[in-house]
Formats: sequence, C-alpha cells, structure tokens
Amino acid sequence: MKVTVLRLALLAALLAAWELAGRAANPLLAVPPSAVLPALRDLLLLRSYPRLPASLCLTVREIGVAYALAVAAGLGCGFALGMNRLLGRAWGPMIAALYAVPAVVWYPSLMLFFGLDAASKIAFGFLLGFFPITLAVLAGVRQVNPQLVLVARAYGAGVVTVFFRVMLPSMLFTLVGGLRTGLALSVIGVVVGEILGAKDGMGALINHAYGLLRTGDYVALVLVTLAIVVGSDVLASLLERRAKAWTE
Amino acid sequence: MTAAGGALIAIESVAKRYVTSSGPVDALDDISLSVAEGEFCTLIGPSGCGKSTLLGMLGGLVMPDRGRLLVAGAPVTGPDPRRVATVFQDAGLFPWRTALENVEFGLELQGVSAERRRRTASELLGPLGLRGFAERYPRELSGGMKQRVAIGRALAIDTKILLMDEPFGALDEQTRVLMGEWLLDIWRRTRKTVIFVTHSLHEALFLSTRVAVMTARPGRIKSVLELTMEYPRSMESPEMVALRAKLWSEIREESLRAMQST
Repeated sequence: MKVTVLRLALLAALLAAWELAGRAANPLLAVPPSAVLPALRDLLLLRSYPRLPASLCLTVREIGVAYALAVAAGLGCGFALGMNRLLGRAWGPMIAALYAVPAVVWYPSLMLFFGLDAASKIAFGFLLGFFPITLAVLAGVRQVNPQLVLVARAYGAGVVTVFFRVMLPSMLFTLVGGLRTGLALSVIGVVVGEILGAKDGMGALINHAYGLLRTGDYVALVLVTLAIVVGSDVLASLLERRAKAWTE
Repeated sequence: MTAAGGALIAIESVAKRYVTSSGPVDALDDISLSVAEGEFCTLIGPSGCGKSTLLGMLGGLVMPDRGRLLVAGAPVTGPDPRRVATVFQDAGLFPWRTALENVEFGLELQGVSAERRRRTASELLGPLGLRGFAERYPRELSGGMKQRVAIGRALAIDTKILLMDEPFGALDEQTRVLMGEWLLDIWRRTRKTVIFVTHSLHEALFLSTRVAVMTARPGRIKSVLELTMEYPRSMESPEMVALRAKLWSEIREESLRAMQST
C-alpha cells in the first residue's frame, strides 16, 4: 500500500515537473503532458497516424522473433558451456566480456549486412537478448549443488531425470531472471534499431514525428511504445514470481 | 541368491587411485571385506583413508580400478536403488521439496504411484519423529531433522542394504548420541544390512555388530572387531571400556600416520 502511494507520488512529481518545464520552454521543442494527452487521443481515436496499427504489429512481431531466437540460442549456448567445463572455462569469460561492449556499436554493420528492413532489427534485438540469457544459464548451471546430483544418481536418476528434477529446479530462479532481462533487452534492441534506421515500425514512426518537430505526437508515440515494454515486463515478472513460488 | 559364504556384500581386492593436480593418490589399496545379511558393519579410520570412496563404490557411484564388488552375488555396475539406499553426510535434501516430498523422492523415480508413495512416506514420518513436519521445507528443519528426512528417503525405497556415510557427522554431540539411539531402534526393527562410516568411537561401539578399522592412505583393512554384546549397550561396562581402549589405540596409530603424511 505504502509502496503504491510512493510510486504514484513519484509519478505525479515527475509529471508536474515536466508540465512546468514544458510550459516554460519553446513548444516546438518541449511538450507539457497537457499537450501530449490530446495528441495521444488523436493517435488512438482519430488515427492521426494511419500506419500506427501496422507499425505496432511489426514491432511486436520483430520483438517476438528476436526474443525467440535469443532464448533458443541463449539456452543452447548457456547449457553447452555450463555442462562442458572446458568450453565454459574457455569461452564463458569471452561472452561476459562481449556483453560489456555497448552493443549499439555493432548496429551499423548489422544494417549494412541485413538491410533496413525487419531483419536488422531482429538481429539487433537478438544480439542484446542473447547475452544475459546465456550468462544466466551459465551462472545457473554453476549454482547446481553437485551433492544433490549425486543423491539423485544414487536413487537411480539418469541424465534426463537429473536435468529435470535437479538442475532445472536448482537454477530456475536465476534462469527466469535472465530470461526477463533478455526480454527487456530484446525490446530495447528492436525499438532502438527502428529509431536508428528503419522504414517501418514504432521506432520509424517516432523518428518521423520527431523529424517533423511534431513533438506532441512524438511523445504520444513514445508512450504507446512504452506500453509494450511495460506490458512485456509485467508479463515476465508474473512468470518470475510463479517460478520463485515454485522453487521455494 | 547370496554369494559364496552367505555374504550379502562381498568386496574383493578393490583398489582405487585418484589423479589430482599434485599427482596420483592411492585412495584404496587391496580392500577385501564381506558382510552378511542383517549385519551392522562400521568402517572407521582416519580422515582421507578412503572410507567414503569404498561406500561410493558399494553404491555404484564410484568405479574401482581393480577388484570387484558383489551385492547379492551380482557385480556392482552402477547405482541400484532396488537393492541399495545411501545416506550422505550432507543431508542433500532438495530445497524445493517439502520433508514429505523429499522422503518420496526415491519412490517417485521408481515410478510408484503418487498415492502409494504418499502413503509410504507418511507412515515413515512417525518413526522418523517428523510427524507434523510433512509440509515443512528443509530450510525450516533443524540439522537432526534434515538428516532424519534423508534417512527416511533411504528407508522409503525399502532396500536390503543401507549405506550411511557419516550421517551424523555434522550434528552436535548430544543430537548425535540421540540419533544413534534412534537409528539403532530403526535398524533392530527393520533388520537391514547397514554399512556405516564414522569417525566416532562411540557410534562404532554402540551400534555395530562388526567394526572394520581402516589404515591411513592408501586405505586397507587393518583389523576387524566382532562385537557380540546385547543391545542396548552400556558404554560404561568394563567390557566396553576395554574395547574402546583397544579400538582407540588402533585408530590412534593410523590417525597419527595420516597426520604425518599430509
């Protein structure tokens, strides 16, 4: 309850500050919330941007594909490196180091390679989502208590049973945390990719509105995009909580 | 079904060498021992003498380099939860399972129906002194309780043989004595064949029908003591005091050697 009140208080304070700052500044450059609301209404009800539904679908689809690829590759690489001690020792630190490189430096070459369409956004979303998932799996595998594996083997568990009955529950919390971070980063990758250079999608719309100095529309579009991000994160955190309840 | 001589367990000239970063280490060298059905056989010896390795071999978790191990006449080739159940020094409970679910684990792997394994496990909780703790998770249990859950997990699959690797080693002295009394009671009722690894003279003398003293590394059987006293045993009887002194002098010698070699 107190948490909710504090959250709302922070939100209200930010909005108030934004309103004040927006009214004081040049309306071409800054928009107070009171000007965003009409723009948002036009956007959603009057369809001031006819391409909005299609763009939204495209962005969500790109995120879906990028994230699915990141999950598949991340789980695959993570388990391969986690189960094989030599590979893990050789390549694990390299993956961790690559994760530390600001990924946006790769984006220009991704665009050159994959073109301006969806492929380069998917590639960028994948690249951002892949690392945290891989590293979470690696860390998770290392968390598994070898004593528990031994117990399971003594009671007749084979490799598959050990995996599902011991390893997965042991690492579940870390794994789900990594999957959640991966989702957030895949979303960021796709949207940033669209903003940096795309013909379609939410990022392209945002860029378009911003380029025309339609600042109200621009902020309204950002809010719509934000809704995707928040929505996906809420979904992920629900899954995380369920995993936590199950592990304990 | 049993091997020659009526032994349920036969260990024949078994040797094991581990390769470590500082060179090879001979853990066990030419161990032979046979254990008859219904015995409570204790392995005692200095740290690092390979007691746990020997137990691991009987459980099918460690393979010998030389020699062989027979259980009910058949060579041990891997874990066999239908014949052998193991209790480890670390209780090794699954933290995401309740006490009851931990006891059920072995039955679950054997494909026993949920209803039957729940019944078996629930019936065990009483003698385990865990009635009322079925739904508790391991982190909510004391050290002694955890170890009893681990023993319950081993008893639930109802094997003829129970291997116990210092099951009370991590407990405080008082709990340890009480757990020993409790285990004795369980053993006398179930008549399982127990191989028990310990560092404790008290446990060895209080519980065993036979005590095998092992040498410092590489582990060999130094001597075997037959204990014929009635249960429950008084630790103060003159016979027991004499046995204790004898056992201690043998172990002391090996422990000193173990200390000097490392």
